Amino acid sequence: MSFERNFLLAAVALAALTPLVAHNEYSLHIGIMIMFSVMLATSFNLIVGYVGEFPLGHTAFFGIGAYSAALFAVRLGTPIYFTVPLAGIVAAISGLAIGAITLRLRGPFFVIVTLCFAEVLRLVANNWIDLTNGPMGLSGIAKPALIVGATGVEQKLWFYYAGLALAAASLVVCYRFVYSNIGRAAVAVRENRFVAQSIGIWPFWLGLVTFVLAAAISGLAGGFYAHYISYVGPEVFGFSFTITMIIMVLAGGKGTLAGPVVGAVIVVFLEEYLRDFKELRFSIFGLIVIAVVIFVPRGLMGFVGRRHETYQRKTAGHEGDKENKQERLQPTLEPAGFNQRGAADA
Amino acid sequence: MDFFLQLLANGLVTGAFYALSALGLTLVFGLMRVVNFAHGELYVIGGLLGWALTAVLGWNYFLALVVVVVALGILGYLIDQVLISRVRRQGEEPTILLTIGLSIFIANTALLIVGTTPVTVASPFASKPLILGPVVITQARLVLVVICAALIAAANLLIQKTTLGRAMRATFQDPMAAQLVGIRTSHIYGFTFALGATLAGAAGMLLGSIYVVEASSGGIISLKAFVVVILGGMGSFAGAIAGGLILGLTEALWGGYVSTGYVDAIGFGLVILTLLVRPYGLFSRRAERA
Repeated sequence: MSFERNFLLAAVALAALTPLVAHNEYSLHIGIMIMFSVMLATSFNLIVGYVGEFPLGHTAFFGIGAYSAALFAVRLGTPIYFTVPLAGIVAAISGLAIGAITLRLRGPFFVIVTLCFAEVLRLVANNWIDLTNGPMGLSGIAKPALIVGATGVEQKLWFYYAGLALAAASLVVCYRFVYSNIGRAAVAVRENRFVAQSIGIWPFWLGLVTFVLAAAISGLAGGFYAHYISYVGPEVFGFSFTITMIIMVLAGGKGTLAGPVVGAVIVVFLEEYLRDFKELRFSIFGLIVIAVVIFVPRGLMGFVGRRHETYQRKTAGHEGDKENKQERLQPTLEPAGFNQRGAADA
Repeated sequence: MDFFLQLLANGLVTGAFYALSALGLTLVFGLMRVVNFAHGELYVIGGLLGWALTAVLGWNYFLALVVVVVALGILGYLIDQVLISRVRRQGEEPTILLTIGLSIFIANTALLIVGTTPVTVASPFASKPLILGPVVITQARLVLVVICAALIAAANLLIQKTTLGRAMRATFQDPMAAQLVGIRTSHIYGFTFALGATLAGAAGMLLGSIYVVEASSGGIISLKAFVVVILGGMGSFAGAIAGGLILGLTEALWGGYVSTGYVDAIGFGLVILTLLVRPYGLFSRRAERA
């Protein structure tokens, strides 16, 4: 817990200081993409790591956020300071509706039903031309009035710090959420649904609360994205955004707050470096996903965390009192998602 | 009325094709419980291999079909033994990730090799139209519907009547008990996945002579196959047929009478409704909840 908090604080501090060194448009653009990816990965991780279900259509909320920010900005001329929070709110409301339907299902059925929702939304965005402008998408989403006429670097700098503020705020909310009673109850449900129910936890309600929070964060990311790219098309509902989220959370380690942050940084840099391989990069990407599932199933932070635990127990063991030895015999809590389909998950 | 009959015929034919393309997934997802997102890519490999053998090398259609069946069988067995066996009994999440990684890899490698142009399998069946009263249908489609019915019947017989089929069902009901009575379960897993891959590849080649095969179309094929399997109920072949026909008919009627824009959304809407109202599928006998 304290390790995670210190890690996140250090990461935010480092991110706040980075523009002093990397003061050019390209590095700032990568920085902005990292901020945006951190938000998406954190949101996805809330459901994968803390509800224990796998929302393959999570990009639905990102898309809803992006479209609602774009619509408010283009059709009504609402400034960015209102559209981005509104995007979060709209996404949270749709999260409530979609979550109430999908969370009744579990396992592969949840996976496929969420995917169905994302696909339906993509088709609606493609076909409801009066509202969404169809496949053409909505373009010309206004940048904030403050930076109109500023140089490219200054504009990027503004978006970088706005993104950092949003990402940091999302992480703070998630941290408070995960280490609250609700978050602990969610972990209890994830680890053993029936035991959790027997002590009075209502899994559906917990899932729904987490789902709405995750949807809101995705929506914020979507609104931010819409204003930064200044164009939104039906592809925001596409499978590729979900895949990026999955890989970020998977590589970083689900069920930890630091994991998705690390994963987002890795994936954004990896995508930039793999550009040299041109078309081959997607094939390499696929192979990396397979390799991660097989060789580092708990992700990077899961791996580091386990090393950290063994190290702590080793140093404690050297002091040699019996209490610590007894502690060593107790099994450590399995990380997220390793709840095998056994008696606990019938 | 004639228009309705034509739509009905179109819907039934498309429905049969949907059932055919979902057949492999019925086995792998319905029976074996592997959420296989690479199903569509196996279908595409079958189609592309069929195209390469018939249209590029000029082989006989049926010889090519045999080669496709054997090649996909081997590929499926290897995928299961090398990759999926490592994440067996770890819940569905690692499998989903693994098959998504596999599908990204296969789709993009196929794109690199074949390119984005859609291709067609050279087929011996005539595309001459057959006029049955008010309904027009091509010969090739009719032949394929028959082949499709034969394949489904064969797969069903294999699962229900043979020793191998019984061993498969035993393994997926209770792997431990199956092992205790002497079934080599690891081979059964490999074989079932191989059979699923074979059916997917054969469907790809058969339908590749009517529709086009594209390297990038695997995703949408996987999705439709999942729709069919869920509509019909897990692991039942009769259900897969029913699911396919329902999807085909609804799409045809919706496209004919309402609008063509949202045709693709119908299937997903149906799945959302089905899972809400009857979470164990429309025709599943077992009251197995999602």
